Amino acid sequence: MTEKSTDTRYLDARLHLLDRQLIDHDGNPAGIVDDLELDGVEQDRDIDIGAPPPRATALLSGHVFATRVFGGSPPRSRYTEFPWRLIAKVDVTVRLRDGDHPGEGDWVERWLRRRIIAHIPGGRHAAE
Amino acid sequence: MKKVFAVALGVLTAFGGFLDIGDLVTNAVVGSRFGLALVWVVVVGVVGICLFAEMSGRVAAVSGRATFEIIRERLGPRTAAANLLASFLINLMTLTAEIGGIALALQLATDVGPLMWIPVAAFAVWLVIWRVKFQIMENVTGLAGLCLIVFAVSVFALQPNWSTLGNDVLHPVVPENESAATYWYYAIALFGAAMTPYEVFFFSSGAIEERWKVKDLAVSRANVLVGFPLGGILSVAVATCAAIVLLPNQIEVTSLSQVVMPVVAAGGKLALAFVIIGIVAATFGAALETTLSGGYILAQFLGWSWGKFRRPAEAARFHVVMFVSIVVGAAVLFTGIDPIMVTEYSVVFSAIALPLTYLPILIVANDPQYMGEHTNGTVTNALGSIYLVVIVAASVAAIPLMIVTGAGQ
Repeated sequence: MTEKSTDTRYLDARLHLLDRQLIDHDGNPAGIVDDLELDGVEQDRDIDIGAPPPRATALLSGHVFATRVFGGSPPRSRYTEFPWRLIAKVDVTVRLRDGDHPGEGDWVERWLRRRIIAHIPGGRHAAE
Repeated sequence: MKKVFAVALGVLTAFGGFLDIGDLVTNAVVGSRFGLALVWVVVVGVVGICLFAEMSGRVAAVSGRATFEIIRERLGPRTAAANLLASFLINLMTLTAEIGGIALALQLATDVGPLMWIPVAAFAVWLVIWRVKFQIMENVTGLAGLCLIVFAVSVFALQPNWSTLGNDVLHPVVPENESAATYWYYAIALFGAAMTPYEVFFFSSGAIEERWKVKDLAVSRANVLVGFPLGGILSVAVATCAAIVLLPNQIEVTSLSQVVMPVVAAGGKLALAFVIIGIVAATFGAALETTLSGGYILAQFLGWSWGKFRRPAEAARFHVVMFVSIVVGAAVLFTGIDPIMVTEYSVVFSAIALPLTYLPILIVANDPQYMGEHTNGTVTNALGSIYLVVIVAASVAAIPLMIVTGAGQ
């Protein structure tokens, strides 16, 4: 699974993409690359000779810790999809472009923020 | 003065590793049973932690990645999850012990029972994590922890026979009434305490909290070279005090009051006041270090936003995890468990966590994608590889020795 980027830099999808940190345009963590969506590959079928090479269309991130550790494939609904056009830079981290991100943050984070953290005095202010 | 505080992160990190409640007692136990025959282990441990903490600080400053992020990226979710589980349990057990340790130290000062102090200590730890800025937190605990220098002063005040002490250090022998297995069990316990993984988790995440960049590499190195050797020297001083006063009188160390006994013998009430402030600060610092480490590693493993530099609302899961850890730690203490015993069993989990923490650091410190021109030199790599062998050997031997010796009985 190697893929060519525009400046002909080779990326090993396992080594350079999987498990890397996604960072949004504000510099905050936005999840982890848990999977990669490829176009032009079908399960259990060889790719036809002469067919266009498979393309990475999206990075997937989500609440899939259990299946990543114990195996199996999680339902698609557990993933948040980051289409490739939203990816600004692939380096030590994967940086996202400014744009309407799918999901806009994690629901657990939002729920805890709204229901618990915001109600404790000082929860909305930086430490002093 | 600013330069003094620049090394506060290293001092706080090292005190949490070398002078937390478990180590204070372990060092005194070792001194009272083995004299100075295990000092060499502390030296080996200090060199090892300096080596790997320097690497983790350099990786954090250059690439902006904290240690558990590189563990996940290099080991993949399965192996990293095994490390996470072991490291998180070490953190939680140590945190439990530290809250108990603060309570025990306050009991020494006030005669109010530890059960009354546990909720106070737990609330204070949470409040600092919730509201106090990272720099203030590390400066105050680091500075107050320096009161433990009274152990080193006491060694001189007790006017020991220096040539005998020196001979004990340079020609270590297992005392007649101790078995070789117990000797090696305590050797691994001391080595594990020196290299305990939460130190690199805290140090590298602290580097991110302080926004260290490439230009701060010298500061990072100074933190390592001041903090850890200081922690090591003071832990040797605790053992030496015990070897001078407790060993000849065959006093067994079972609680904090025996740990501070030599200091009182050397300097009376004033020294006792210093040592109590020092122990409260060191255990409080260790409680902060382990609580934050627990939050850091879970957040870094799962890709959450984390850090005290963010408002709590912007790192909600991170703060909830730490709050729950503190509550669990305090609740465990209310079962009446001995806090010092709790840390002794964390040696078992170190067996898994040590190699799985230090191997990825060594790999990434050599990866030009992360490090650019700041990859490891040949000497660092050679030393790092030797230490990995020592770490693996210690982790393999830890559990069998623990079973054979009944945890050092």
